[in-house]
Amino acid sequence: MGKGSYKKLKGSQNFRQRLILATLSATPIIIKDIRANDMFPGLRLHEVSLLRLLEKISDDSVVKINETGTMVQYKPGTLMGGRHLVHYCGESRAIGYFLEPLLVLGLFSKKPLSIRLKGVVAFFVGFAKLFGPSACAYSLFSFLTYLKRITNDSKDPSVDTFRSTTLPLLKQFGVPSEGLELKIESRGAPPHGGGDVLLSIPNIQSLTAVTWIDEGMVKRIRGVTFSTRVSSQFENTMIHAARGIFNHLLPDVHIFTDHKAGPQAGNSPGYGISLVAETTSGCFISADTAVSYARVEDGGVEDEKAELMSPEDVGEQIASVLLQEIEQGGVVDTTHQGLLFLLCALCGQDVSKIRVGKLIPHGIEVLRLIRDFLGVKFVIKPDPSTGTVILKCVGSGLKNLSRKSS
Amino acid sequence: MAKTSSIHEQSHKAHRLRQAAKKLQSRAVEKEQRKLHVPTIERNYGEPPPFVVVVHGPPQVGKSLLIQCLVKHYTKHNIQEVRGPITIVSGKKRRVQFVECPNDINGMIDAAKFADLALLLIDGSYGFEMETFEFLNILQVHGFPKIMGVLTHLDQFKDVKKLKKTKQRLKHRFWTEIYDGAKLFYLSGLIHGKYVKREIHNLARFISVMKFHPLSWRTSHPYVLADRFEDVTPPERVRLDNKCDRNITLYGYLRGCNLKKGTKVHIAGVGDYNLAGVTALADPCPLPSAAKKKGLRDKEKLFYAPMSGLGDLVYDKDAVYININDHFVQYSNVDNKNDSMTHKGKDQDVGESLVKSLQNTKYSIDEKLDKSFISLFSRNANISSEAQNNAKDNHESVDHSHNLEPNESGEESDAEDLDGSESTDEDEDAEKDAVVNGESDGSDEEYGAAAKQKVDPQDHMKEQVEFHGGRLRRKAMFGNDIDDKDLKCAFDFCSKDSDEGSEDDDDVGDQSFSDSEFSEEDRNEVDMGNVSKWKESLMDRTISKQNNNLMQLVYGKSASTPINEKQGDSEDEESDDEFFKLKGEGNKKLREGFDVENVDADECSKFTNHSNLKNWKDEEIYERIRDRFVTGDWSKAAQRNKLSTANDEDDKDSVYGDFEDLETGEKHGNHQKEESGNVSMQKEDESEEQRKLKKLALRAKFDAQYPFLDLEIGFCDLNICLHLMGTNHQMKKLMTNTESSFTEVKPMKLGILIRVEKLKEEIEIRKQRNIAELNDLDEETRLEIEGFQTGTYLRLELHDVPFEMVEHFDPCDPILVGGIGLGEEHVGYMQARLKRHRWHRKVLKTKDPVIFSIGWRRYQTTPVYAIEDRNGRHRMLKYTPEHMHCLATFWGPLAPPNTGVIAVQNLANNQASFRITATAVVLEFNHAAKMVKKVKLVGHPCKIFKKTALIMNMFTSDLEVARFEGAAVRTVSGIRGQVAKDEIGNQPTKKGGAPREGIARCTFEDRILMSDIVFLRAWTQVEAPRFYNPLTTALQPRNKTWQGMKTMAELRREHNLPIPVNKDSLYKPIERTLKKFNPLVIPKSLQATLPFESKPKDIPKGRPTLERRRAVVMEPDERKVHALVQQLRLITNDKMKKRKVKKEQERKKLEAEKAKDEELSRKRKREERRERYRVQEKMKKKSRRNSDA
Repeated sequence: MGKGSYKKLKGSQNFRQRLILATLSATPIIIKDIRANDMFPGLRLHEVSLLRLLEKISDDSVVKINETGTMVQYKPGTLMGGRHLVHYCGESRAIGYFLEPLLVLGLFSKKPLSIRLKGVVAFFVGFAKLFGPSACAYSLFSFLTYLKRITNDSKDPSVDTFRSTTLPLLKQFGVPSEGLELKIESRGAPPHGGGDVLLSIPNIQSLTAVTWIDEGMVKRIRGVTFSTRVSSQFENTMIHAARGIFNHLLPDVHIFTDHKAGPQAGNSPGYGISLVAETTSGCFISADTAVSYARVEDGGVEDEKAELMSPEDVGEQIASVLLQEIEQGGVVDTTHQGLLFLLCALCGQDVSKIRVGKLIPHGIEVLRLIRDFLGVKFVIKPDPSTGTVILKCVGSGLKNLSRKSS
Repeated sequence: MAKTSSIHEQSHKAHRLRQAAKKLQSRAVEKEQRKLHVPTIERNYGEPPPFVVVVHGPPQVGKSLLIQCLVKHYTKHNIQEVRGPITIVSGKKRRVQFVECPNDINGMIDAAKFADLALLLIDGSYGFEMETFEFLNILQVHGFPKIMGVLTHLDQFKDVKKLKKTKQRLKHRFWTEIYDGAKLFYLSGLIHGKYVKREIHNLARFISVMKFHPLSWRTSHPYVLADRFEDVTPPERVRLDNKCDRNITLYGYLRGCNLKKGTKVHIAGVGDYNLAGVTALADPCPLPSAAKKKGLRDKEKLFYAPMSGLGDLVYDKDAVYININDHFVQYSNVDNKNDSMTHKGKDQDVGESLVKSLQNTKYSIDEKLDKSFISLFSRNANISSEAQNNAKDNHESVDHSHNLEPNESGEESDAEDLDGSESTDEDEDAEKDAVVNGESDGSDEEYGAAAKQKVDPQDHMKEQVEFHGGRLRRKAMFGNDIDDKDLKCAFDFCSKDSDEGSEDDDDVGDQSFSDSEFSEEDRNEVDMGNVSKWKESLMDRTISKQNNNLMQLVYGKSASTPINEKQGDSEDEESDDEFFKLKGEGNKKLREGFDVENVDADECSKFTNHSNLKNWKDEEIYERIRDRFVTGDWSKAAQRNKLSTANDEDDKDSVYGDFEDLETGEKHGNHQKEESGNVSMQKEDESEEQRKLKKLALRAKFDAQYPFLDLEIGFCDLNICLHLMGTNHQMKKLMTNTESSFTEVKPMKLGILIRVEKLKEEIEIRKQRNIAELNDLDEETRLEIEGFQTGTYLRLELHDVPFEMVEHFDPCDPILVGGIGLGEEHVGYMQARLKRHRWHRKVLKTKDPVIFSIGWRRYQTTPVYAIEDRNGRHRMLKYTPEHMHCLATFWGPLAPPNTGVIAVQNLANNQASFRITATAVVLEFNHAAKMVKKVKLVGHPCKIFKKTALIMNMFTSDLEVARFEGAAVRTVSGIRGQVAKDEIGNQPTKKGGAPREGIARCTFEDRILMSDIVFLRAWTQVEAPRFYNPLTTALQPRNKTWQGMKTMAELRREHNLPIPVNKDSLYKPIERTLKKFNPLVIPKSLQATLPFESKPKDIPKGRPTLERRRAVVMEPDERKVHALVQQLRLITNDKMKKRKVKKEQERKKLEAEKAKDEELSRKRKREERRERYRVQEKMKKKSRRNSDA
């Protein structure tokens, strides 16, 4: 309770997971040296926005950020949840960045959560690193150099993936499907965003442990493409390209289009695709990406835009990524590894057993954080015959304490 | 006609009968359903810890005697004193721990928190006492464990009838308190100062068949009832500062749920602490091994009660304490005479003689050193004779306090314990050596200590005596505490025979003590000897290392694989960054490892690796994953998804082959063979069981797929379950129940039953699965994964505990160590539904300090009471309602919702009234309290316009006015209005001073009067005080009452202060001046316009009489005459008045005289009457006598 009981952490890595775990385990934390040696020290806009979001959904939480933004002190409060909340996520990261923490925290809040998130519904493209709060202090030159970089590496899972893969994942843990919903009201691609998403999550008493090692076989592939402020033909091209790859393997492939126009299309042009493979045992394996221009600051020069990846390439690439995910095996794709571990660790005090493909660095980091915060360790055993990894843990038995009784 | 009527009647009768039958049926169903409750999962997989039987009762009711008798019944041992928990093996599968409940309310509250069964002792000759009811209430709130009443002192009744009646009465009273049919036991009386053997036997039978159901709080929190307590502070620190914070160790069985490392604990009555160390010790009182024999052998009737001075061998993490009966220990020549007496038959031990030679103080130390033939003790050169004398004195004093055991239990029991601890013969030998050494060493140590602490040795010894429960205990070190030279010497001596060096032996010792399974293996491999053991431990280690390899990658410090991946990921970033690198940063990154480098990595749950995508259009490539699709080969896919456990071992080898070096790999192989040879039996058993479990799990899966399965299959499952469980009677009974009900069932009943069965089955399957999964792991990982299992005997080390805990430690007050869940150490507001206890005399006042017991904790806090209005508002109450629930909001360490709360106001033992003031249940917690109370602002108009008015005295400042803009106001006469939004009606004073602040402008629905009073009704937030004060009852003498914050009433009483009275609040007669109304005046113009009907009519009031109308004008003469007449009249009037007064006086006088006369005459008459009656009576008597005669 005193100041000494703060858990001390360093650096900005795993910021989200740290905050989630600190909130759930009610551990106050201090994060020091956040990009202390960086050109643009301190917290990024999306991180600040995440902290604001946490303050919004909880009561009596204390967030202190020092002047340079290199240190954050966070004392978690009671998760409240509530209806009709609105949060502006900013444009430096996509809404997918905020959805995962919200999902986990919403389950353990006092009241069911329903929140409207505004920001970039598509994906972030380019480097968020540049656009910190202190960015304006730097010369225009540095900006221009970075603005040239345009890549279609998306950092956050898309909202489509969230709806098609992440939400069904919760059902495995005994979360009721009513009240669990994500509505995409309008899309917004970077750099200017303008998307609008309505997320509602029920609150639960506790999660039930899973034994989930049967990956099953892929029985169907579904997907959604979207395009904002570009021709809807882009989508058809993507679908065609993706189907071209899947057709060798599976006839049951349906990819839907979601062309937005007018105010629903946000403020910037972009297009993307999200694919989900459903297996016979109810696992969902997803892959997604999006293409758009990088964020341009007001002072930036518009005509320096580079060529974007062609929709055909995007379709092919993402189909290949999905097949690669399927090849790796496991009950979830790599994107959801961290979330899966987290949910397992939050279960009741029973043994959970799961199978994943290769452990990715993010997943490993999450495992370590879980050990640090919740004291839950996983038994990790490789399954050499399939090249997968089987993890076992005894849940921490976390109960939703803030929920009112009767 | 008659016939029809009779038929009618018959049908009526039949109808009624049918209805009655229906009613009966439904009642039976209802009763049956009431019995069902949602099954709870029990996660105690290992041996259950001993059940705690708390013996409670008012003082002098025979608690200790009952425990003594029960212990005697179970173990055939007499214990002199009951201090602390006494653990007893009571059956083949059952252990019981007896605890006597202390007499104060704090002790009762703590006891209720760990009791599995409460024996409520009631003095039959006296009847129920308050303590019993208090304890019952506490039990109810803290989970309601099993309860059994025991009536004692029944031999005080001489009259059999009266006894019977009393029994009946008490039984029924007991039933109303718990439930009808609650067991009340009668102990008829004492024989030779003990309860009757037969009755104790029966009671023990009842205890041993008692079933305990899990209580929700306890199944979610680990807890330890400490049965041993040691102060392990370095003595030097204590010597320097007697009041320094201490390090203590607590020992006890882990109960509740598994304890993970790093859990915080709460010691009841002390506070919250981090566990500095947790170690699993060998069970000091293990269950007998599973032999086919019926009943317990005498050797297996173990018992363990270190606080009462029982249990001769005590294992610690790094030491073994051996308690030797005083008869077998002769320290010095003080009791030399007794010596010869006791040691008649027995040959003297070598070690003993050694010690004796040491203790012989005839010679000086140097001489003695020369004489003694073990060079070992030469290091103890600092023994001075003075110190020895001191020590001797101490021994004497200690000896007095020893509780002597019967003679024969000495060595035999020693041997027993050694057997019990499952050590090998060799070990036993070694330990016997250790006993010897321990003896000598212990005394040495003590001498040393005495010598060291010349300052006040007396004090120190005293303390030691306290810690060790009134007996001496000597240490034989196996451990690594090399700093203590004496001990090391002893150790060297001990392990002289085995030349392996101390470390190896250490390992073996440690392991055999730390985990019981390991020691079992040891036993199986007796013949392998020390060398093999040593190797084995190494091999085991290597195995575990290999098993953990991937785990080490993740959790260990050196993470090699992820580095590469990550670096690859962030490579391009770096290359571009280089230009902007701060000076030296790049180098740093190169130098330092992965962790530092990625400290600022951007977080991204996506792992994108698009660079090395395969060309999935290539047929060769996509055909490779064909089997992952439904279009592929199903059988291959099925194989892939199957659990590859059968060839697990092989897999391991093949996988880890890369990691292990050649030598260990070979050893590993060897070891496996050896193991399989040696422990084949065990292994086979295990594997068989595993197979069974797996079968069960498979079946469960099958069931889950077909939820509406034929019942019979369900039964099959259950049968298998039962088969597996072996002796699970409960299940068996259930089975038969369902089967019997299956034959005659109603469909509804069946549905519910099936549901319950289903739930139970699910739980059972989950449990089996858990066990199966956990059994796969080796001991070390298992500990890491699930923590210490319930039922293990733990040693908890705690640092920086206040010295008072050690100083005021009393073994009669059990120490409860409870684990704290996530977030429960935080402080905040809690809201509880509270009800004043119906037997507490007063209502509770808001913000008066009350002591709450929630979870493991007891603390004083100041609740604010409230009630929920219909619109959801929480309105503060000044006092709790008389007979209703209310909400209590208080500040304190958070407890999860649905936790029971008990409130006490006065802890003192000397009060006669019922001490429990209220019971409550936590509803929710929050970080803010939301309660309101009503506030009424009153103002008066100072200026009235048409429909607005300026109101003064309502607010004190303009700021306040601004705050209340738009608020609704009302006048007494009911005219509504609101505080105007736009302006503030301040007016400059007439004399030109500063304008008066806080005048508000209000608009009303009608014009108000100057005489109107204007109200503003509002709600104001009430804060519950942020105060809580943990009860530190274990840090003070037990007989002292804990004193916390006092209530206002107490303070007033102490300082003799009157209750402050607000004059305005007093009731006084209401004085209302009569309101004077002016006559209604209708303006002329209005009158004129009114219709004739409504016009006020000017009706003349009749003509005045002539006399009235006439004015009399008197002449001067006439006037004189008139005056004269008036004067005369006055005179006569005066005269008449005087006369009247005089007459009155006379009349009064006359009356007085008359009264006097009357009085006299009455008296006379009475006299006369009396006389007459007397004469008459006489006459009558006479005549009667005459007639009689």
